[in-house]
Amino acid sequence: MRKVHVIGVGMVPFQKPGKSDDYPVMAKGAMTAAFEDAGVPFTDVEQAYVGYVYGDSTCGQRAVYEMGQTGIPVFNVNNNCSTGSTALMLAKQAIAGGMAECVLALGFEKMEKGALGAKWDDRANPLEWHAGQMNGMQGFTAAPPAAQMFGGAGREYRWKYGTKRETFAKISSKARSHASKNPYALFKDELTVEEVLASPEVFDPLTRFQCCPPTCGAAAAILCSEEFAKKHGKGDAVWIAAQAMTTDFPSSFEEKSMMKVVGYDMTKKAAAKVYEEAGIGAEDVDVVELHDCFTANELLTYEGLGLCPEGEAEKFIWDGDNTFGGKYVTNPSGGLLSKGHPLGATGLAQCTELVWQLRGQGEKRQVEGAKVALQHNLGLGGACVVTMYRKD
Amino acid sequence: MLRFDDRVVVVTGAGNGLGRAHAHLFASRGAKVVVNDLGGDIHGGGGSAKAADVVVNEIKEAGGEAVANYDSVTDGAKIIQTAMDTYGRIDVVVNNAGILRDVSFHKMTEADWDLVYEVHVKGSFAVTHAAWPHMREAGYGRVIMTASAAGIYGNFGQANYAMAKLGLFGFGQTLAIEGRKRGIHVNTIAPIAGSRMTETVLPENLLAALKPEYVSPLVAWLAHEDCESSGGLYEVGGGHFAGLRWERSAGKTFRVGRNISPEDVQTSWDAIDGMEETEHPENIAQSMQPVMGNLERGESKGGNEWIDVDEALGYEFPEQTSSYTERDLALYALGVGAAKDGEGELDLVYEMAKDGFKALPSYGVIPAINVILDLGKRGVTAPGLHYGLDRVLHGEQKLTLKRPLPRNAKLTHKARISNIYDKGKGALVVTAIESFDEDGDLLAVNEVTTFVRGAGGWGGDRGPSAEKNTPPDRKPDAVVEEKTAANQALLYRLSGDWNPLHADPAFAKAMKFDKPILHGLCTFGFSVRHVLSQLAPEGDPRYFKSVDVRFAKTVYPGETLITEAWKEGNELIFQTKVKERDEVCLSNGAIELYETIPVKKAKPKGTAAKAEASAPSGPISADIFGGIGHWMAENADDTKRVDKIFQFRLSDPDSVWTVDCKNASVSEGETAKPDCTLELTDANFLAMCTGQADPQKLYFGGDLKIGGDIMASQKLTFLQKVEEKHVKKAMDARGAGGGDAPAAAAPSGPTSADVFRGIGIFLSENPDIPKGVGKVFQFKLSEPDSVWTIDASGDTGVTEGETIKPDCTLELTDADFVAMTKGEKDPQKMYFGGELKIGGDIMASQKLTFLQKVEEKHVAEAMKNRPSGGETKAAPKKAAKEPFAPKLMDSLTVKKNGGAKVQLLVTDPDGAWFVDLGEGSVKPGTYDGADTTITLDDASLAELAKGDADASALFQKGKLRVDGDLAPARDLGWLKA
Repeated sequence: MRKVHVIGVGMVPFQKPGKSDDYPVMAKGAMTAAFEDAGVPFTDVEQAYVGYVYGDSTCGQRAVYEMGQTGIPVFNVNNNCSTGSTALMLAKQAIAGGMAECVLALGFEKMEKGALGAKWDDRANPLEWHAGQMNGMQGFTAAPPAAQMFGGAGREYRWKYGTKRETFAKISSKARSHASKNPYALFKDELTVEEVLASPEVFDPLTRFQCCPPTCGAAAAILCSEEFAKKHGKGDAVWIAAQAMTTDFPSSFEEKSMMKVVGYDMTKKAAAKVYEEAGIGAEDVDVVELHDCFTANELLTYEGLGLCPEGEAEKFIWDGDNTFGGKYVTNPSGGLLSKGHPLGATGLAQCTELVWQLRGQGEKRQVEGAKVALQHNLGLGGACVVTMYRKD
Repeated sequence: MLRFDDRVVVVTGAGNGLGRAHAHLFASRGAKVVVNDLGGDIHGGGGSAKAADVVVNEIKEAGGEAVANYDSVTDGAKIIQTAMDTYGRIDVVVNNAGILRDVSFHKMTEADWDLVYEVHVKGSFAVTHAAWPHMREAGYGRVIMTASAAGIYGNFGQANYAMAKLGLFGFGQTLAIEGRKRGIHVNTIAPIAGSRMTETVLPENLLAALKPEYVSPLVAWLAHEDCESSGGLYEVGGGHFAGLRWERSAGKTFRVGRNISPEDVQTSWDAIDGMEETEHPENIAQSMQPVMGNLERGESKGGNEWIDVDEALGYEFPEQTSSYTERDLALYALGVGAAKDGEGELDLVYEMAKDGFKALPSYGVIPAINVILDLGKRGVTAPGLHYGLDRVLHGEQKLTLKRPLPRNAKLTHKARISNIYDKGKGALVVTAIESFDEDGDLLAVNEVTTFVRGAGGWGGDRGPSAEKNTPPDRKPDAVVEEKTAANQALLYRLSGDWNPLHADPAFAKAMKFDKPILHGLCTFGFSVRHVLSQLAPEGDPRYFKSVDVRFAKTVYPGETLITEAWKEGNELIFQTKVKERDEVCLSNGAIELYETIPVKKAKPKGTAAKAEASAPSGPISADIFGGIGHWMAENADDTKRVDKIFQFRLSDPDSVWTVDCKNASVSEGETAKPDCTLELTDANFLAMCTGQADPQKLYFGGDLKIGGDIMASQKLTFLQKVEEKHVKKAMDARGAGGGDAPAAAAPSGPTSADVFRGIGIFLSENPDIPKGVGKVFQFKLSEPDSVWTIDASGDTGVTEGETIKPDCTLELTDADFVAMTKGEKDPQKMYFGGELKIGGDIMASQKLTFLQKVEEKHVAEAMKNRPSGGETKAAPKKAAKEPFAPKLMDSLTVKKNGGAKVQLLVTDPDGAWFVDLGEGSVKPGTYDGADTTITLDDASLAELAKGDADASALFQKGKLRVDGDLAPARDLGWLKA
């Protein structure tokens, strides 16, 4: 397999639903920034993988056409919350497998206000097995379904390890503190643990400020082969050291565990594959962008990715090992909680942040001397993509 | 990023402040900038070339492109020439240069005025005018005018400046229109910024917040090719950006063609000056809209201080409702002299009269007039009518009935001013009132013509003038003479017109009458009664169609009325005189008759009822009568013993039934000789027959009227022997087709069992539907308990009882289930409210929408074929449960077990206990110092203590909440019942 470089990244500042531009405009903004960053023209792109969840078919083409109609293959990608990194993975595969030299991965989302819900009620709901598991364990309430799922996982973890409410709230507070230094983030105001806990309860232990908001935005990455990068004087560009995607294992539906239902095992196994492929482990990672759709999931993911031993996430958090000055910096961008979570764009926005970090372009939120970065993007339904980036 | 590569931008007054910030921003984004500055000070005096050069150098140092120009803006052509000479084009003009000559107006010199005008207005003109041809030719341009809040709102000491600034806005608005087709956009900003011009007037800290850099981004955006706005006005500064537009009040529009006085403006000032209802005109056309609209309405119909025809004519009063009963009809009839001898005309005053009670048709004016009087009392009058009651006389009255007045009615009245006539000295105002019955059918139309003394003379329409209904020159065909009673007015006024003029001698004197006068409409009632009694077929008032009459003279109570009538074709012409004075008091009268008594058209059967109730019905009164018939057929001996004929007159809806026990027959319709007549509403009849209402109470409450042989009514007890099966037999005969109104009572509406069987029938008729659903549902109903299985997985069927493998289980009460299937309750709300519990495959429950396709007929069919054995089980009331927590906590002995202090909060019902595991103590109440707070409801506590549920499951379900240290919650072994 060939080495794959990320030579250009770009995104637009994320917006609240109803306040954003339409998706072609957002996408154009992200693509324009990415091509400027890469220093190559759009006409060099041989294929495009475009991720979005909400929209009719071929929105991908409509968005890419903003840059030009060069007749290249455009693939529309849909994989729930991990849509963006799924597009990224397909682009990476095309380069690694020698099918193309320069590929665009684009993700965008124009979301509606309010919590996620099903759009189609005349056919099997893709999450019906997950929902059935949850209903058996904890019933079904009027709270947003995703909050019930991840909140339920939080309950299970809490019961198992006796975690304090404040521990979950601390994650939000940390996310806001990171986001305050990121001009691309949606919520830049800092929040104290008390403020997080005082916000309305969505689904115990989750309060409002522990749930990521529906968001609109776009992000793009341009991937290329080593040869292409060198030809354009970018031989030292960030490269993808390893990448893996997992989907649900039987444990999601058999173990009567909400942590498993929301993909704990998907995370764990994808991470293990990545460490094996990269030949380096969690201890070598400097900076992480992980899927903090809810605080509970960030906490679970610390353990899933092996950033700390199982059952020790609370200590990890209180020791400050998830922020500047600690072992790792998780979500320097502010994460989904503060930067926002436009489903199709999130995976590529994570990639964008990490590429900036590895290049030392993180500005006020730069993780000093970051050389190895880890990305984790998870969707219920389910799919989990873990990617490791390196800069030589 | 918004770029200006290859664009050439002229910024005037760019040496300092706003202009400098604009120039820097444009240059930093690729524009070639002509930095114009005279180098003058802010007061417009002399200057050096320096300011512009400094800015140009700054731009160049930053890597941008710029050229300086030192001309005055009044030499605008030279500035544009610099752009053309240096860069060969001009894309953007930012008219920013300005000066101040602030001085209060009384000290202002002409030079102050002119100089400010020269620089701001003339300067912006000169620069823009020079650039304009280039922009037109290029088909592209952006022009920014710089106005100011002072111009928009005014500012002390800035009369000259304010004039100039708002002048620029108007200037820009026209350029926006002229430039639109050529791609030239012109916008105006009203900036507030701490610049040289404002540093003299603003405090320092405010100045810091008002950086010019907070204004320039708006200028750059307005100047960018992507910005489509033109003709806009924007306030900007200190971080705030906002559009500003004109707002216009709804205003006041006078019809053209009549004089408008200053007083008219004065009295309308609230509407003109008030901003409660507003709109935002954006251009001249919209500005003109109200005027054009007024022209379309045409010329004024005129008016004067008493009557504004334009406002009043066609005014529709708010809809009013009223009702009347037989009592009102009888009281009215007495008020107009009916049944004076206590024998004749009983049918007008006695509801059980042998020949049937009849309404005197002239009563038709009363509900309508009362509504108008009532509106007047409440201050609801037509707009444009500005006269008092002292000027008003009831001039003419017209009444048309579509059919005889019912004995009781609830009416809705729609009144409007239908005509206004100018009679010279006086005016006539006609109010038309349409009265509709409960079904919305028109029943009566009144036209009340009021004569308004001294209110005419505006030169308006005089109205019809030909004399109508003139008595022929021959002897009357009928004459009725009748003396009114001395207390006639006192009696009549009880029907609604309470004016003291008809009762209070002092009041009457004050109104210049010798004594209280008789109501004109009372005389009217006498006359109509007289004419109908003589000339209607058999004297039956129900033939009445319409009456039209003029009020000529006043009548005093106690005077004798002589009504003379002539039959003229279809019309009965009449007039009424006062015998004692030989004066005509009612003139030009005419009554029209129907050829046959009109009947209310029956509604198509079922429609009304269907709209009301989707549920298949219980018995209607017809079923009960049918049931009586069945019973009589089966019980001939009992029937014979009764030996009476009963007539039932039901109302709401009306029907008449004859129960003939002599011949053991029941039939719909009247009978010639009933022994006993019973009148009551349909609903009361049903309630009586189903045991819900006691006939005796109905009778004494006036809801049941019994005429004829009252003693015969006692034999009606036999009705209680009629059984449900008899009624059901009648219902079955009625068939499933007639979805009539649901009964108030017994042999009830559909039960849950009916609905389930209905679903079964539906599924068997539609085998494709279950195939699409492919799921097995189990319903567990409570109160009373039952379990049903709907198998929609292919093995189609609905069965009572459990199934081994349901895909989805739904638990709810019997009543909620029935309500849900009737559409009265929303399953989703019930679900989230906890009234509906769904187990198993929760997604399968979404497929239950197929139940909405089950129709009434399926359920009705199920009802018809109910299995015997009666299944209307009474819902056993749940006894209020004793709370579990106090019992448990009182009996609890806690052993020392670690050291945790646990605060236990119980809800529903609430309670609190504090458990100290270090001391092994339990005490009620809340205390500080708890390590752990556990919150759960009483029922969950019971489950937990009895070992029916474990803490982790309750926690996962959110039924057990833990705050603080979680560990003690994991070990609740001490909490055992």
